[in-house]
Amino acid sequence: MMRRYQEKGDVQKKAYYNDRFWVAPQIPKDPVESDEIFAKDLESLKSKFEIKEAYIQRGQMVVYIDPKDNRDVLKHLKEELAYNFLSELSAIDWLAQKGEFEIFYQMLSTSKRKRMRVKCFIKEKEAIESVCDIYKSADWAEREMYDMFGVIVNNHPYMKRILMPDDWQGHPLRKDYPLHGDEFAQWYEVDKIFGKEYRDIIGPENRDSAYVNERDTKHFARIRHEVRFGEEPSKEPTDLMKEYQEEGGVFLIKKFKKDKSITLKERK
Amino acid sequence: MKTPRREYPNRLEPFFENLVFDRDDNTMVINFGPQHPSAHGQLRLILELDGEQIVKAVPDIGYLHRGMEKMAENMIYNEFLPTTDRMDYIAATSNNYGFALAVEKLLGIEAPRRAQIIRTMLLELNRIISHLFWLATHALDVGAMSIFLYCFREREFAMDLMEDYCGARLTHSAVRIGGVPLDLPDGWIEKLAHYINKLPKDIEDYEGLLDQNRIWKMRLEDVGVIPPEMAETWGCSGPTLRGSGIPWDIRKEEPYELYDELDFDVPVTDSCDSYGRYKLYMQEMRESIKILKQLIPMYKESDPQIMAHAPQYISAPKEDIMTQNYSLMQHFVLVTQGMRPPVGEVYVATESPKGELGFYINSQGGPYPYRLKVRAPSFWHTSILQELLVGHYIADVVTIIGNLNIVFGEIDR
Amino acid sequence: MAQHQVRYLQDGGLPVLLTTADKILQWGRSNSLWALTYGLACCAIEMMASGASRYDFDRFGTIFRASPRQADLMIVAGTLTKKHAEFIRRLYDQMAEPKWVISMGSCANTGGMFNTYATVQGVDRVIPVDIYLPGCAPRPETLQYAVMMLQKQIRRESAFQKLKPKRLV
Repeated sequence: MMRRYQEKGDVQKKAYYNDRFWVAPQIPKDPVESDEIFAKDLESLKSKFEIKEAYIQRGQMVVYIDPKDNRDVLKHLKEELAYNFLSELSAIDWLAQKGEFEIFYQMLSTSKRKRMRVKCFIKEKEAIESVCDIYKSADWAEREMYDMFGVIVNNHPYMKRILMPDDWQGHPLRKDYPLHGDEFAQWYEVDKIFGKEYRDIIGPENRDSAYVNERDTKHFARIRHEVRFGEEPSKEPTDLMKEYQEEGGVFLIKKFKKDKSITLKERK
Repeated sequence: MKTPRREYPNRLEPFFENLVFDRDDNTMVINFGPQHPSAHGQLRLILELDGEQIVKAVPDIGYLHRGMEKMAENMIYNEFLPTTDRMDYIAATSNNYGFALAVEKLLGIEAPRRAQIIRTMLLELNRIISHLFWLATHALDVGAMSIFLYCFREREFAMDLMEDYCGARLTHSAVRIGGVPLDLPDGWIEKLAHYINKLPKDIEDYEGLLDQNRIWKMRLEDVGVIPPEMAETWGCSGPTLRGSGIPWDIRKEEPYELYDELDFDVPVTDSCDSYGRYKLYMQEMRESIKILKQLIPMYKESDPQIMAHAPQYISAPKEDIMTQNYSLMQHFVLVTQGMRPPVGEVYVATESPKGELGFYINSQGGPYPYRLKVRAPSFWHTSILQELLVGHYIADVVTIIGNLNIVFGEIDR
Repeated sequence: MAQHQVRYLQDGGLPVLLTTADKILQWGRSNSLWALTYGLACCAIEMMASGASRYDFDRFGTIFRASPRQADLMIVAGTLTKKHAEFIRRLYDQMAEPKWVISMGSCANTGGMFNTYATVQGVDRVIPVDIYLPGCAPRPETLQYAVMMLQKQIRRESAFQKLKPKRLV
């Protein structure tokens, strides 16, 4: 029997049922002219840079630019248009669909009370220029983007992984990275601490949250049938759970007497 | 001599990378963390010292990276909500709320008024819990053990209130997409009123213990100075930003929920140092009490509806599900398949106790988000350490870390 | 000269107590379980709460220590990630024998809700665990109950038995 072929490009969870005739509605994209401040900002950006698309969605302007302009656009936004905060920066994986990463810069202007998003597309092997000398907050965000997606950032002062260990393989937030990790990830701690030869002794990870084995007293104990580590499960109820204090009390320790304790009706 | 048998064979070699003896420039490298009692989680700092002064600081994070963003891409929206609890686990409701609000913006729905009132109450109660916790741990790091005990005492009473409402002490999940799951239980309002009447006196006590305390002042004043330009460029938010003299509070500037109807002030200080931020936190607790006091009469006047009516996305109330066939079908589809929001993207920022908590959601019309990015304030506040620590003495490191109010659940996600 | 008369065989023998060495040693060990502050995530907050004013861990003789050399008990409170796994093993190895481990919360027990690439699926893959404490996050009372169960277990054991290597070879 042949094993059924599975698409390996995108291992994300799929909805188990999709209505064939369902067309997802779109969040409306308003023209930028509907907002006075955004219209002015876009005007200013258009005079200097190539703007591929611009619209307002849910009150925030979205501007698509050429990835080569990203430094100049952000500099212009900071110096001319008073967008003084870079509040977020990350990527979206479109590799399976278009072979591209979408990079977004979420900007905030405290003086105008406006938020806008600058976006651009880059190809998988392309690099993008760092903006961390314009906004220092980009420093770690770019490292995180590299760590999670493998987007290479040029001229970054310290281009290393940030969230995952330095010797990690793969970029977890890519759509072709499985949620439970690849083989390297699943054995990472065992390989590192005990070595590969201990894989058999420790055994594979149990990823099934519904797994129950009543005979297994190493990992599970049945309530009121607890036994010591590794012993055979007992038929008779055990007394481990019965009472905390040993019969006759513990040496030099007073037994708690409920009738002599006081319960406050209200907090003091 | 016989070498002892290694009973626990492991390959971990002794760890000497933190002490480099053959350096030319006379600086010492020390390793701080990742398991340090005053690192507020799993922060690792590699510090280069000249004498006792820090020349270079390299923060290393990721020791609590649990892959939440990846989880979000594999979960329906409602399923992800309890995961947000575990981000900023000191004020879990503010995370729930940030996520719920982002999804509501995506769907284009609004919670009914009573739900908004309950949410605002919970948010402000969480702010108090979080600030008390901040003061407790910060004071403990600096050496004031008694403040820790006092603050935890008051915090426990606030936790009791949260527990009365949602049943959990720490991981609340008290906010749902489209409203809140439950109305307030009987007598809760009275308990809340009792609590917020007591609290100002306790805050005064803490201030009495700390404000003029010589040690407290010496350890906090002019330590961790963040000038406004620095705060801006490093993307600070919340009390850290307002401590640098920039009056930016999202509750005030971009009001969500009921904050445009409520009367409260945003405390700002331009002292830029740790002591100023401490005063700010104390003042913020008072403002939260003020907000809670205004919400109590509002609650009594509101209609009892607590979930938004949007059958396409949100299940009907329980009575309808139990009595009406169509509501039950709708509920079944929503639970098994999940809601399918329209195609588009939103970025919604809320003012969590730590700062700007933003959720970026990219939806492609499926039941799972295509991309979910959490803008956690602590992440940006930790990155500032590499510039802020330089020039300080090593004893100030714990003061600064404690003062920035960072929580590792949301830094590493 | 003795200032007071010692009645060795009456009144329970005070001020002289007769007991077995096992009993007194294990009594001492069980009532001064110093815990290593191993706060990793959310459960650490509950661990702090159990040490703070309302729950007051000190009455069990459990005092939190920051150094593994002074600790008998490691309370693994929170999610153990793959990046951190190495360090928990190092700190466990640095603790002096006899030592015990409480795995606090679902994440430490099994990985819990974080069934992802970055979390260790149960701290018992790395270090041996004596008590598993369920809950997400367990309440402070639960942690105290776990410590009480551990105390009971310690009192039952013989003080001089050779330390058996636990699981994980």
